[in-house]
Amino acid sequence: MSATVPPLSQSQQHTAGSIRLLARPSLRRFRLTTSNVTAVIGTLLIAGLVLTAIFADVLSPYPPAERVGRPFARPSAEHLLGTNDIGQDILSELIYGTRISLTVGVTAALVTITIGTAVGVLAGYYRRLGSILMRLADIVLVLPFLPLLIMLAAYLGRSLWNTVIIIGLLSWAGTARIIRSQVLTIVNQDYILAAQGIGATHRHILYHHILPQVLLLATGQFVQATNAAILLEAALSFLGLGDPIQKSWGTVLYWAQVRGAFLTPAWLWWVLPPGLLIALASLGFALIGFALEQVINPRLRHNR
Amino acid sequence: MLRKATPRILAVSLVLALTLLLVATAAAQGAPVERLRIGILGDESTLTPYTYVTGYPGWNLLLLQYDTLYQLDLDGVPQPWLATGATVSEDGLTVTIDLRTDVTWHDGEPFTAADVKFTYDYFRAHPEAGRFARDLRPLSAIEVTGDAQVTLTLTAPSPSLALGTLADVPILPEHIWAAVETPAEHDFGGVNIGTGPYKLAEYQAGQFYRFVANEAYFAGAPLVKELVVVQFADDAGSLAAFRAGEVDMLVRSVAPEQIELLKAQEGVTIAQGPLFTTQMLNYDIGRTPFNRLEVRKAISLAVNRQDLVDTIYLGAATVGSAGWIHPASPYFNPEVVTVYDPEAARSLLDEAGIVDSDGDGIRELDGEPLTFELLVNGGDSLRLRIAELVHEMLLQVGMDAQVAAVEQGTWEEAVWPGFDVTQGRNYDMAVWGWSASVQADPIRISQLVHSDPALGSLNLTGFVNERADELSAQLNSETDPAVREQLLDELQLIIADQLPFVLLLYPDGAYAYRASVYDGWAFMNGQGIFHKLSLLPETARP
Repeated sequence: MSATVPPLSQSQQHTAGSIRLLARPSLRRFRLTTSNVTAVIGTLLIAGLVLTAIFADVLSPYPPAERVGRPFARPSAEHLLGTNDIGQDILSELIYGTRISLTVGVTAALVTITIGTAVGVLAGYYRRLGSILMRLADIVLVLPFLPLLIMLAAYLGRSLWNTVIIIGLLSWAGTARIIRSQVLTIVNQDYILAAQGIGATHRHILYHHILPQVLLLATGQFVQATNAAILLEAALSFLGLGDPIQKSWGTVLYWAQVRGAFLTPAWLWWVLPPGLLIALASLGFALIGFALEQVINPRLRHNR
Repeated sequence: MLRKATPRILAVSLVLALTLLLVATAAAQGAPVERLRIGILGDESTLTPYTYVTGYPGWNLLLLQYDTLYQLDLDGVPQPWLATGATVSEDGLTVTIDLRTDVTWHDGEPFTAADVKFTYDYFRAHPEAGRFARDLRPLSAIEVTGDAQVTLTLTAPSPSLALGTLADVPILPEHIWAAVETPAEHDFGGVNIGTGPYKLAEYQAGQFYRFVANEAYFAGAPLVKELVVVQFADDAGSLAAFRAGEVDMLVRSVAPEQIELLKAQEGVTIAQGPLFTTQMLNYDIGRTPFNRLEVRKAISLAVNRQDLVDTIYLGAATVGSAGWIHPASPYFNPEVVTVYDPEAARSLLDEAGIVDSDGDGIRELDGEPLTFELLVNGGDSLRLRIAELVHEMLLQVGMDAQVAAVEQGTWEEAVWPGFDVTQGRNYDMAVWGWSASVQADPIRISQLVHSDPALGSLNLTGFVNERADELSAQLNSETDPAVREQLLDELQLIIADQLPFVLLLYPDGAYAYRASVYDGWAFMNGQGIFHKLSLLPETARP
């Protein structure tokens, strides 16, 4: 048992008190520490990107799909990052791309978390169903991830929705296991046993006692899943398996690659900026994720 | 001192100048080059007629070792090569071919009429080499009728016999191949005996081929003594090797965006010219709205072909002729005019009653908006860009062509299910293209437009037109070149007027080489610079 769910054996050693803290993490604990600084930096980064996505219409100098200059133009006052292979403004593409990349990332992460939480809660609460679901999770975990992703993408066809669904379907297993281990520690608590004793339905217990306890953990997972989804979307699009007509950071990189920008000086304004944006988004989500984990994860918090 | 030295300097420089002049003339006359390295993509196996892989450059490499009875000249017209000439009987069913008597195989054996008969029979008996078995389909029998003469009997008159058969099928040595029963697996020990200008000396799978010149070649000794063909995994790798000077020529056409960059590099020459490959819009004429001629005409008027050429190909392409045949082809009908006029497209649709009645910018036909799917192979970036721009151009005249990028297999299966037009079609509109061979033989125009799948085997749009059927049937049996040209002219006008498809453009070929190493490359109309004539002295070229 401890081999499949390592966090379980340790968290079981905690006292009931420390587990209750997990249930209601108090904001008073949020003092200015290194983890808070990283959280602030991460939040600023992501807030910047989210604002860019929301105000893309105002911020971008040109409509991203319109051909506004000659193809392959170098950066100039009119086009700060030059133009792409058919004369679309690269800066505008990237600004609008923020919208698509973040949307795909967040939506795919929502799919991941929804499936992961549902599976985790059910598997933790119903033992027999749980062992079946966990074997399923094991299968998903051991499948070679990227090749499967590429195959599915090729099979299902190119569209944003397919990208979202594929990422969601393939990345829920880790979340499910973490949530399940948390649920396993909760179901043995006295108040759950008491609730069962006075005849509360499973449904009542799941909704009122268990789900609220794991939501914070799920939030932490969500941030990390968003990070992973943004990277995966970029990878898929770069490989030409996304929807090449939609302007995400990954597709900008795809076009830079197929039209030879990697071999010419154009990499400086066509390859580097989308690469940096992907790195910044990833860094931002990762920093927030670390900080959240410090607050949420009982093991890390205990050690502090 | 200075004055004294002057005559000597003068003398020295005079000698130098003379030497240089001599060297220059020698180079111009084609002094032999010791070694030339060229780059290809991928492996072409052992390069026998049964093992070579691609049509280009695999077939071209094959024909460095073997010869054909006829050989395309630089205009793409077949000329006698191993043959000295051919006479066709009155009814067009018997073709008598006279052969050269001064040709020997690489191993010294003389080339004879029996080899020709053996080869043609062999390819028909072992049809695994699909291309050559197909080439020989018009043939019902071949007999040796003289010391250096063969006679072909045909099932029907075949106007493309010289181009499609005689200039395509490599002649094999009977004394080697008679014993070969499973040609695809047979081990020739790495030695391919042919009559061609090069002998394969070394082959390392996945790495390179090394050819040495056949000094006794009947047409004249090749200008390059040793030809090394290096295999690369991808475009980027071969381009980097060329830039670094590791190869002296790239067999694959250079991508449009790389042309200017390569031209700017010291010592690099780009040979640019027309290719007969096409980029076009296909649609299912059996479906609304494409069953309406006005809609097809409006599409053709609305696409700005020049813009596609300038934007996507950066000028390295030729604007499409609505009549199918490339303007650089000898068969092009100059009466065909191709117009870009979105205003005319709009009024044409207006007059046909196809108007935008609900104000959403998209016209309606019988209450249905002109919204359809534009299918494109997502793996082909240039075609994707064409689809994007066509979408934008059609929107200007009130049609919504929604780009759908799919896998190559899905795209082929929708447009040309099972590569067999009798199986119908399953798409609205698609960006499509034919390889150069479909246009290099002008007769094949009939395959594109004839309504009977037996003849119109490439009629992917379901085009039906009585006059086109008549003309293309006639074209397939007409052996008089003058009459054939008239038929071709009229067919082009019908295509431009009835629009079985909308031809967009013909990409140009752009081949990079270093003239300092070898400068004998010659552009064959529609086919590029990599063919055996490029390696032969000018006097040897037909």
